[in-house]
Amino acid sequence: MSLEAREVSKRFGGIAALSEVSLALEPGEVHGLIGPNGSGKTTLLNLLSGYYRADAGGIVLDDEDLTLATVQRRAFKGLARTFQKPRLLPALSVLDNAALGGWRDCSAGFLASSAALPRARREDRMLRGRAEELLHGVGLGHAIGRRAGNLEHAEQRFLEIARGLAMRPRYILLDEPAGGLTPAEIRHLGGVIRTMRDCGIGVLLVEHHTDFVFRICDRVTTLDLGRIIAHGAPDAVRRNPDVIRVYLGGSHAAA
Amino acid sequence: MKHSRPALLAALLFAAATLPWWAGNQYQLHLATLISAYWVLIGGLNLVVGYAGQLSIGHVGLLAIGAYCFAILAGAHGVHPALAVAAAGALCGLCGLLLGLPSLRLPGFYFAMATAAFSLIVTEMSLALGGLTGGGVGIAVPAFPPPFDTPQGFYYLCAGAALLVTWLTGNAARGTWGRGLIAIRDSQVTAQAVGVPVFRAKLVAFVASGIAAGLAGALFGALQSYITPDTFPFDLGLFFFVCIIIGGRGSIVGPFVGTAVLTALPELVAPLAKLGTFFYGLLLLVVVLLVPEGIGRLVEAAIRRFRPAREESVPVRPDLARLAAAIREGRG
Repeated sequence: MSLEAREVSKRFGGIAALSEVSLALEPGEVHGLIGPNGSGKTTLLNLLSGYYRADAGGIVLDDEDLTLATVQRRAFKGLARTFQKPRLLPALSVLDNAALGGWRDCSAGFLASSAALPRARREDRMLRGRAEELLHGVGLGHAIGRRAGNLEHAEQRFLEIARGLAMRPRYILLDEPAGGLTPAEIRHLGGVIRTMRDCGIGVLLVEHHTDFVFRICDRVTTLDLGRIIAHGAPDAVRRNPDVIRVYLGGSHAAA
Repeated sequence: MKHSRPALLAALLFAAATLPWWAGNQYQLHLATLISAYWVLIGGLNLVVGYAGQLSIGHVGLLAIGAYCFAILAGAHGVHPALAVAAAGALCGLCGLLLGLPSLRLPGFYFAMATAAFSLIVTEMSLALGGLTGGGVGIAVPAFPPPFDTPQGFYYLCAGAALLVTWLTGNAARGTWGRGLIAIRDSQVTAQAVGVPVFRAKLVAFVASGIAAGLAGALFGALQSYITPDTFPFDLGLFFFVCIIIGGRGSIVGPFVGTAVLTALPELVAPLAKLGTFFYGLLLLVVVLLVPEGIGRLVEAAIRRFRPAREESVPVRPDLARLAAAIREGRG
């Protein structure tokens, strides 16, 4: 049981964005993915979630080969993600944005939904109820009726997580969720991530706030120039000379 | 706003139900019937344009197919009008499927061109297939049987159909499908991420709009009582599209107001009629430049001004116990 990238490679033109990278995300762990800009973190996220196709290697989710599967198919298999720049539907309410994550549980067809058959209505109530609980859980209870376009930056980040959780994922990929958050908000984010982990969700955390990553992750993988240069427990990775040289560098030496 | 909505709706319904009594003359009744018939099409098209964000400007072609289908079946072949209406809806749903299958994969601009080409082809076909359609001379469209054969009766039929379309599209728009379509419109990446099958969802909406256009065609044809290829000019397709844009995307009320205003204004205000298409163009320009979100949004903004919502900044403070319960609930 895991979400795995098996020796995946991806080239863009003449540049190798990823070269034979393997990574396994287990349920119930927080797995950090760090590395300098351009090291291939987001490329790996896009390969895992299906926005890119791997040139070589495979993507496996709980023993099912999803290398060629669409983004939607992976969503249905229990894979959720957020984006570096939150991608919300600004015209819809916060509640509707979160409820959008319930699409995979919508069994009512277009006709049943149009005719407001009891089954379709019950289902929609259920999805809205789930979204509402999740929104209260991530701390957006005060904003449920607002237009998502009017949210502040931190609220948008937490709303994206709520939408991902409304998909009932087994694995969730977070692309720089702490970007632009205040220290207090990052602490809250840490609580949300730990809660997801404790509920058995595998969390892949791509992040530049290294202190946050080393504090919260169970394992950390470091990429540089499309290759894994270190992998293991946070403390070991933090002391790894290669990681210090290419990424942590002077700032950590000084700190 | 939540309290005013049902009241407003009830007032509108009452006005529509009693319209034959307070309408000044037969012509105004005719206009109301025309608005209803148009709305049957535009209400369906609204799912495609206003919700899924696919710019179809060729639905007049589907309107024409529906009208000719009804005229030919109910007129020349003596099929019962109710059956002929159903056939018009089914045929246009099929046409929507055949048109949508290749074209809905195209990016926005090219999709619009494909639908435009479709409506031009329909015009040429209706001219070429003279044996069936009467060519340039056109054909008579039979009236509906009693009690729908009087102007009042026919008005109620069209208004009922319009109401039905409003109800159906409103249900779809409020639920999971509406959210999915808006995701396709505003962020395909998001739509994919949550599992919305983008192409299939667009196709479903497009076929639904085709069925609505077919029904509208039958009603519109019967209202005109005689149709020629000139009854379905290319401009009419643009008109349907403009009604939705002016009304505002992602709303049902807005495009309905747009339809009613754009249909009635040039007819009721004589100087505007002289301006013709220029008036539509001007209005479109004004709306796109000043209120790009449409007049529906304008009303919403006005209401908000009278009742300012409290949107003070509240720090995000997760309730982790509740979050855990909600996650476990979903996974249980």
